[in-house]
Amino acid sequence: MTTGTGEARKKTFWQVLTSEKYYRWLLISPLLLTLLVFMFYPLFHSLYFSTQIYVPGRANVFTGWENYRYVLHDAEFWSALGHNLLIIVVCITIELVLGLAIALLWYREFKGQNVVRALCLLPLLVSPLVLSMVWDFILRWDLGVVNQILSAARLPQFQWLAPGVAIYSIALITSWQWLPFSIFVLFAGMRAMPRDAFEAAKVDGASAWYTFRRLTLPMLMPLVLIIILLRTMWLIRLFDPLYATTRGGSGTQTLDILVWRTSFMYFDMGVGSTMAIISLFLTIILCAILFRYLMKAMGAVK
Amino acid sequence: MRIKSALFWLATVVIVLVFIAPLVWIFLTGIKSRPDLLHVGLDKLFIFSPTLWNYQYLFQWTLFTHEFANTAIVAVASTALAMAVALPAAYSFARFNTGSGHLLFVTISTRMFPGIVAAIPFFFAFSKLGLMDTHLGLTLLIFYFNMSFATFLLFGFFREIPEELEHAAMIDGYGRIEILRRIIFPLIGPGAAVTAVFCLVWSWNEFLYSVLFTKIVARTVSVGLAALWGSIEIEWGPMSAGATLAILPTLIAAWFMQRYIIRGLTFGAVKG
Repeated sequence: MTTGTGEARKKTFWQVLTSEKYYRWLLISPLLLTLLVFMFYPLFHSLYFSTQIYVPGRANVFTGWENYRYVLHDAEFWSALGHNLLIIVVCITIELVLGLAIALLWYREFKGQNVVRALCLLPLLVSPLVLSMVWDFILRWDLGVVNQILSAARLPQFQWLAPGVAIYSIALITSWQWLPFSIFVLFAGMRAMPRDAFEAAKVDGASAWYTFRRLTLPMLMPLVLIIILLRTMWLIRLFDPLYATTRGGSGTQTLDILVWRTSFMYFDMGVGSTMAIISLFLTIILCAILFRYLMKAMGAVK
Repeated sequence: MRIKSALFWLATVVIVLVFIAPLVWIFLTGIKSRPDLLHVGLDKLFIFSPTLWNYQYLFQWTLFTHEFANTAIVAVASTALAMAVALPAAYSFARFNTGSGHLLFVTISTRMFPGIVAAIPFFFAFSKLGLMDTHLGLTLLIFYFNMSFATFLLFGFFREIPEELEHAAMIDGYGRIEILRRIIFPLIGPGAAVTAVFCLVWSWNEFLYSVLFTKIVARTVSVGLAALWGSIEIEWGPMSAGATLAILPTLIAAWFMQRYIIRGLTFGAVKG
């Protein structure tokens, strides 16, 4: 192709689109469109509604910051946030400790390991809603299997979903479902660790505990971080297990349940939107920090 | 050594039992008659005369078949849509570092947002557009719900394809389309399959949007099951029967995905 003349320089539309400069944007345009429609529209709509008093069937009334002031002084909102944090801490602690223990247990090769692993993966793939309904049945005061086993063993029966206890029961249900995730991530990490370091430790006569503390744990750190970050992201949105057990009663109300109740049961969309925006703001801050750690951790592993 | 091995197997069996017992329990409850399943005491725990009455109830008196079909339609449609958007985007992120990480963060953050945040505005928009309780409406919402995560998963898989391959192909005079067809598609195949199965499982299990945006026409299995739970008298039998059937497809998926699932979940950080 001769360059210099205007004729020759003129590229076809296709060539322009696939050029170094525009190709990446061409590929990403469907995503951008999706974000525009599904992310920015709801965002601005919620921002608008958070400044309004909404009564179904009537015109909105502008209130400015009133909704925000109301929510920030609302004890229910703060207690919901507290419940979220409590669940996050309890779940992640259980999942990491047990996950690490079980991953260490299954680290070596054994007969039937594939069957064992496949069976343990199951809870992860079943609908959280369905599982929570089943757990609700299992933990029931009168008919639940757990209490019947307890009474058969002449032990006192236990109110699993009573106020104050329910939140821990729900955290247990969620941990039970997500424990396989921790086990498998840590397990995969252990399998990928270099053997020679461990052999050197063995030659030097290091104890098992010392090897674990000084070699295994530091090498697993990036993965532990990934688990903490991902689980935090998922747990902050906890909804299904609550819907199927207490529906936010018994002192288990979390942020998403509170927004759901306010907006879709009391139809107070104005305050609901405000709560949504504040909870969104908190999540964004958390996400930004978490994402940076995640990217760093991924870089370290790679 | 013997004692150690025995302890190992004891622990393994206990752990496996803890994981599968509730799932076995669903199945057993599904084939119990009403008096048996409301029986107090342990004697009817495993020994009872099985019945298909719950399944009959499910198919005759509830919309289960209709809901099952709805769930399948929405899951497949939303997965296809999510893959169509996520594949090129993830490729662009992985190969050209488009938006230098910020755009990827924005994309992923949509998945971390409380789903309920988006629900309020969509509730208004869908009412106006007539998308409430339609397959299209639910498909769009679940597509959005899956899209960002699919992008992130695929991002991890695309990063594993060495850039040099493409450079070499370009030097050999391959065009963009040919590079995609001859190099990228064959290499991303397994990763794309895993991502698609993830999307299918997630859409299959999705509940929040389904319960808010469907009533009868597009009602999905989880909403139907929740309705059995939420009625005045809880229908444990039919609910468990329905749960058993609803779990089956995901179990099949699990069997296929076993090998890749962890690689997917850690975004390619671990080669499991």
